[in-house]
Amino acid sequence: MRRLGRGLLRPASEPAERPARGSGTGTFWIFSIGSSLVLLMGWLLPWFVQPTSSGVGFSPMDVVTSSPTGIGTLCVYVLAVTMVMLVIAPVAELVYRMRKQPVPMRFDRVRVVAAAVGLLLTVVVFLLTRIIQEEPLFGPIRAHTITDSAVWLTMFGYIMAAVAYGARDWVSRRPTVAFAALGLPFGLLLPLMFHQAPNFIYWAAASLAIYTLLALGLNVVVGFAGLLDLGYAAFFAIGAYTCASLASPKHSIHLPLWVLIFLGAAVASMFGALLGAPTLRLRGDYLAIVTLGFGEIIPDLATNNVGNLTGGPDGISSIDQPILFGIHFGINKEWYYWALFVLVIVVVILLRNLERSRVGRAWVALREDEVAAAATGINTTATKLLAFAIGASISGLAGAFYGSIVTIVSPDDFAFAVSVSILSIIVLGGIGNITGVIVGSFVLTLVIFWVLPNLNEWSGTLGQTINVPSLSNIDYSKYTYIIYGIALVAMMLLRPGGLLPSRARQIELKSGGEEESLAAVQGRA
Amino acid sequence: MPLVEVDNMVKRFGGLLAVNDVSFVIDSGEIVSMIGPNGAGKTTAFNCITGLYPSTSGDVRLDGRSITGQPPHRITRLGIARTFQNIRLFSFMTALDNVMVGAHWWMTSHVWDSVVKSPRARRDERRVTDRAHDLLDKLGLSRYAGSYARELPYGLQRRLEIARALATRPRVLLLDEPAAGLNPQEKKELMALIGRLRQEGLTIFLIEHDMKVVMEISDRIVVLDHGVKITEGKPVEVRNNPQVIEAYLGQGAAERMAGA
Repeated sequence: MRRLGRGLLRPASEPAERPARGSGTGTFWIFSIGSSLVLLMGWLLPWFVQPTSSGVGFSPMDVVTSSPTGIGTLCVYVLAVTMVMLVIAPVAELVYRMRKQPVPMRFDRVRVVAAAVGLLLTVVVFLLTRIIQEEPLFGPIRAHTITDSAVWLTMFGYIMAAVAYGARDWVSRRPTVAFAALGLPFGLLLPLMFHQAPNFIYWAAASLAIYTLLALGLNVVVGFAGLLDLGYAAFFAIGAYTCASLASPKHSIHLPLWVLIFLGAAVASMFGALLGAPTLRLRGDYLAIVTLGFGEIIPDLATNNVGNLTGGPDGISSIDQPILFGIHFGINKEWYYWALFVLVIVVVILLRNLERSRVGRAWVALREDEVAAAATGINTTATKLLAFAIGASISGLAGAFYGSIVTIVSPDDFAFAVSVSILSIIVLGGIGNITGVIVGSFVLTLVIFWVLPNLNEWSGTLGQTINVPSLSNIDYSKYTYIIYGIALVAMMLLRPGGLLPSRARQIELKSGGEEESLAAVQGRA
Repeated sequence: MPLVEVDNMVKRFGGLLAVNDVSFVIDSGEIVSMIGPNGAGKTTAFNCITGLYPSTSGDVRLDGRSITGQPPHRITRLGIARTFQNIRLFSFMTALDNVMVGAHWWMTSHVWDSVVKSPRARRDERRVTDRAHDLLDKLGLSRYAGSYARELPYGLQRRLEIARALATRPRVLLLDEPAAGLNPQEKKELMALIGRLRQEGLTIFLIEHDMKVVMEISDRIVVLDHGVKITEGKPVEVRNNPQVIEAYLGQGAAERMAGA
């Protein structure tokens, strides 16, 4: 009998006539649609954001209005053409796919040229407006705070498009390398790209990194070992409270963060093992319920201030912020992000090692068939426990960092919604696929930090522009979870394996679930 | 010299006595078959020997040492490997990985080696990969090393399951209906394979319904009916045993055959 937990995470079947999707083509699609979205963002950003007085930048609008006859105008018109070409490229691609026709080579060549021209012109216009801003040709330039971000985004969008269409085969063959090549510089420069809104971007970027760590950890438990854990936020809480207790005036202990992240990881993995030992004999849905309970107990213990350790509902405040090499992390908050960025890279490398080792194989075997795994000599309990402990330790690591960044932890930060968000990330990104999980956390953070908070404003601007005042009056913050839910349902219907399904998952979806193989067996037996 | 001894094994599921006081021994290097009508308790007996079910009472000894009550993975590590009646491969792992899972328990690298991909882990991995390739070779599966288990044709899945069991370095191999669903050619190859394995010193205990296979390869046959062992002996003896004929064909048939 199919276990519920498994069924939930592994949709049984999909119509067989759908074309096979390799992880490579999935990567191509993400690059293609991603570049289109990024370009749109870069283009629309300055239109939708109110001008403020600080900083000078570039927006297509500025240049058009300020230099009605100059080179700037020409550049912007050409830019507009390249943008439209690249933005509609994925749609054209989709039409060809649906007609089952190969995409003509010349399309790719034209798109690469468009991307290169766009990149060049973006730089030109940026230089014209930025460096020679007194140039009379352009007249006085209006000030926009957000426009630098627009420039960065636009450039990144063009580069992404150039890679997607210029090296289509390479992207499909080496998806991981392609992702790393684009993702690493982008990730490293992220706080600089949006430096006009430092407080916001440092917080968003650090959250992105923390969500990524959490998702990577949960992916070990759910994706690799196939154990549905609904209370993962508990380990996050344990890491955060470990940090808070040992680096704050609360108990007058002040350990450095660099010790605490390991301590947080150790304590969390200890709790992981502690929870795991008695419960891991349970399977599927039963385990999910127990972990759900654990996820509720930990914040409750914190709320009730057990042993006067946790500070009750108010939590623990004034957590230390580290100083390393003369950099005060509390003041230069971008360093938190960079430290986390390095940590994410290290964790990804270690997890990849693990995934491809005997341990990774044992986890997959366990996920596929526990009875067969046991009969093949795998100690199922120990193997599950290991997955739980490793997943928890990564969460504890993230928790310690989180505590230090926010300087105050309280039970509310670790509610059930956090566990669900992280689970959504890995389902969205592609269970069991590390690259997919990273993409998933990026998409979800973008939605949480940028799309949802800005929907009201965008909708308002749109309402004014097209003269539909009712659009301005919708309060989208009320519908956050509905939007979230609809997005997940749509995702599962359109791409049940996630944005980037793991290799095994593709085979499963391609060959249409277990029923088919059962029928095949019965037919022959 | 007895390698596996099953003493008075009883397995009760609620009111159903699936295995009732069954005893037999398997000598080292022997091929022993267990036959019996459907529902006779053969697979249950298998599951009790390999630890998947705890037996209600009785004792199983391997090489004189009791293994009753041990968890399945420990029994496998002690040297009893098995295949399943309804093939249980790791569908979404490659054939090579399936076999390498069999080698999991005797690999020497530690978790930390795996995490940092230490030289020891690499060496270990290489060694086991080679060994797995050898096994696939031996079972004629080397072409399929990179294919997912579920993509293999049915007959090859059966063979892959045997390869995985062999990777655990067993002393006794338990095969649960290895010939089920195979065509005559594949059955012939299976019998040849079992013969080869025995020559290499492996002891084999199998459940099988195909009498041609059973009679041809078995040294001894154990017959189960309604959870009770009704007889045991050489193929010729079992074939002519009226009790066996009765179990399979009913009482009337047994009398007619005795009369003829």
